[in-house]
Amino acid sequence: MPPKSILKNSAVSTNAPPASSKPVNPRHLETAIHHARILEQRKVVERQVLDSIITLLDFPSTADADPKQPSAADARQFRDFMVPFQPSDYDSLIEERNIADKCGYALCPRPKRKAPSTARKQFVDTAKGVEIVDRKVLEVWCSDDCARRALYVKVQLNEEPAWMRQGGVGDKIELMVENADEHHKALPLRLKREAAPKAPAPKDEDDIAAAWAARDDALADLALERGEKPGRLSKANKDLMTENIKERVVASKPPVAPSLNEGQSHMAIEGHVPKTDAATAEQDEDEDPQDWDKHLPG
Amino acid sequence: MDDRENYGASMIRMWRVYRTAKQLCFDRGYQMLEEETQIPLAEFANKFMREDGEPDRGRMHFSCQPTEAMLAKYAVPPTAKDPNPPPQIGNIWVEFNADENVGLKQLRDYMQHLVNGSYYNGIMVCAKPMTGMALRLLRGSAGLEEGPKGGVDVFVEQDLLVNITKHDLVPTHILLSRDEKSQLLERYRLKETQLPRIQTSDPVARYLGLRRGQVVKIIRRSETAGRYASYRWAI
Ligand SMILES: [Zn+2]
Repeated sequence: MPPKSILKNSAVSTNAPPASSKPVNPRHLETAIHHARILEQRKVVERQVLDSIITLLDFPSTADADPKQPSAADARQFRDFMVPFQPSDYDSLIEERNIADKCGYALCPRPKRKAPSTARKQFVDTAKGVEIVDRKVLEVWCSDDCARRALYVKVQLNEEPAWMRQGGVGDKIELMVENADEHHKALPLRLKREAAPKAPAPKDEDDIAAAWAARDDALADLALERGEKPGRLSKANKDLMTENIKERVVASKPPVAPSLNEGQSHMAIEGHVPKTDAATAEQDEDEDPQDWDKHLPG
Repeated sequence: MDDRENYGASMIRMWRVYRTAKQLCFDRGYQMLEEETQIPLAEFANKFMREDGEPDRGRMHFSCQPTEAMLAKYAVPPTAKDPNPPPQIGNIWVEFNADENVGLKQLRDYMQHLVNGSYYNGIMVCAKPMTGMALRLLRGSAGLEEGPKGGVDVFVEQDLLVNITKHDLVPTHILLSRDEKSQLLERYRLKETQLPRIQTSDPVARYLGLRRGQVVKIIRRSETAGRYASYRWAI
């Protein structure tokens, strides 16, 4: 006779079919399968995000790449990678790049900025005067410009986990670049520096333009404050979008169809005068920068 | 006897972590003299203290080979197809990371080092918890091509300040070999799924490096019943 089982009796009885075995409720079965599938998708997405971050640790593909003008291949791959990312994944990407001593913006080959000392708190001169900032916050990007470009991507990321998103992953992520022409296959890119005078846009386009402008303002504020830390960005992100939006100042003059200044018409290419002066470009951008979607097909 | 007042808090702390790491390898079954697990503070400081009085983690790494007994525990029963399968254990590399932040970069470098040195698995002791992405890589790394066969165990120094298995209330856990496991199941006419379970993330399971599917024998002392044993299946 074999020794008595070391287990409770119930453990043995589970082997036998229950006395009154009912047929499986198809709805319960469906729910179970549904949950199993979500779990499976979650695993796949998490692995995919990890692999993307590992690849992006060695980004950009060339050491002399310019984050303002990324190569079309890098830009496209980066944008594709970003689709399943949640903002927290993006924070992880920044964190991992920083640990590898790199600028948090994946299209930038430069090392992250080094704080003047190793003290935990640092004094920084800003427009608002001297501020005290965490060293970690200082050492995220190589420059304020990269911070702006990196966070421009982040605010577009979907908060909802990719494995829960309805209707698949159709989201497009845009980059802030200056060489949009080279990326024409990789639309929609926002043509940041192209500020050609155009006929006033219809009403709804104005709204879109205003939304873009508000987003830009918010981003600029953020870049200024650099108050975000990798790892706990999500909340700050929401504050940013809801609290720091400024109203555009309404122009007192009624809109007029733009006309070229006298003496400049010979410079125009299809009605557009290329800008060389940075200051003018800045100004124009404020007045009429929001025509990025004109370049979309259809 | 340790003349502790001669050393800083971080030195004493690191000495305790180092000792526990050595004891852990000893208890897992690697070749090690028992006295190595009881290295005196003065000797530890002599070996690993920098000029500024801080521990030099970069020099504390060590490796061990499995004992014959350990090899037997991890032996794989021969089959017709594979009459002489290698045991599922080998040399281990233990490293103490000094970086303030440990992420994918360090973990991947470490895994590469283990592969290059033909180590079966490794233990990485970090000053602070690793990043979430590094932990994600770790969870998926065992059995993957990118890492060593036996994976990497990561401990935070804090985890090893005290050897939990030396605590009075923690019963003795003994790993069963595959043979012992099948004997147990046969004897009690059980399937492994019928055994009570132990998570591989359980602190004692982590200390022993338990892998999924292994069975541990847990021996408790009872005032009324003397010693009694139970078995748990690692999941
Ligand atoms: Zn940069």
